[in-house]
Amino acid sequence: MAEQFVCKASEFKDGERQIIRIGEAEIGVFRHEGEFFAYSNYCLHQGGPACEGLTIARVEERLREDKTSMGLYFSEKDMNFVCPWHGYEYDMRTGEHVADRRVKLRKYDVVTKGDEVYVVA
Amino acid sequence: MSSPDRAAAKPAKSPAKKPKAAATKAAATKAAATKAAATKAAATKAAATKAAPVKAAPVKRARKADAGEPSSQDKAAFLKALSKGIAPGTDAARTVARKSGKKGEAAAAAAAAPEAPKVEVLRRIPAPVKVVDTPESAHALEFAARIEKMVETGDLQTLQPHAQQALIAALCKLYAANTEAGERYPALGQRSAVSATDVMILCGALLKAVDLQVFELGMWQSWSST
Repeated sequence: MAEQFVCKASEFKDGERQIIRIGEAEIGVFRHEGEFFAYSNYCLHQGGPACEGLTIARVEERLREDKTSMGLYFSEKDMNFVCPWHGYEYDMRTGEHVADRRVKLRKYDVVTKGDEVYVVA
Repeated sequence: MSSPDRAAAKPAKSPAKKPKAAATKAAATKAAATKAAATKAAATKAAATKAAPVKAAPVKRARKADAGEPSSQDKAAFLKALSKGIAPGTDAARTVARKSGKKGEAAAAAAAAPEAPKVEVLRRIPAPVKVVDTPESAHALEFAARIEKMVETGDLQTLQPHAQQALIAALCKLYAANTEAGERYPALGQRSAVSATDVMILCGALLKAVDLQVFELGMWQSWSST
């Protein structure tokens, strides 16, 4: 495992993504609210490009005190990304599948040194 | 087949059935034949040794090789190679390099050494386009949030039907004008969370308000590809 230079942080805008290849691994690097996240671009469902689909806020169902539904709302803080093949949805911060937390994408550490962004792979 | 051979072969087939005298006779005949053959072979060997004494050993080695039996030294070397693996610079290493299509020891060494992975950028996916807020947009957003709050709390009377009709009509005209001007965007934003039931209720009401049937909407969509 070695740190691999990806790009300069100043060239990586917030909300942007980069799909990179390091050796045999294809990795999606995200910048979300100033933080960097990197996951395997190989969907756990059927091997689709998991990191290349929509980024969408998590859908939450708000409940009243008597547990009846107030409707569906988009979360203000949690963001997910969706595999474009069959809609497998993963948490942006953890890489876990939103419906089954046991299923998670391989996560790569991202290190920033000054203005440089490195992925540990 | 000569007669002594035939005689010798017979007792071998069914020794128990033959009389003892016949067996003794056959044995004696065989012994005589063997002795004569041995004498003849010895004479031949002596003659051969006299003519070319050096060739006797290679013939023996060749026979051993034909039998497929490697020598003890070869066996030891094989076991040593198995335990050590293919050492660089040996014939085995060169053979492997040649068969794998790489020439020279340098290529073999390069293949053996782990290559440092390099980063290759395959695609850059830009961030979603940010909206530009105008004062009217900010005011509309604020009012939309107030309407959503009303629905949440069950307050359905504050905004009277005529006001709702005015809002729906104005937004309908604005959206259609933008579409016809080439500004195409989804009618609902990502964070609107409007349910499919809500959409069907409003769409049905809009069609009814302008006296349109669903098949007419289908025709419009197929003709205009909108």
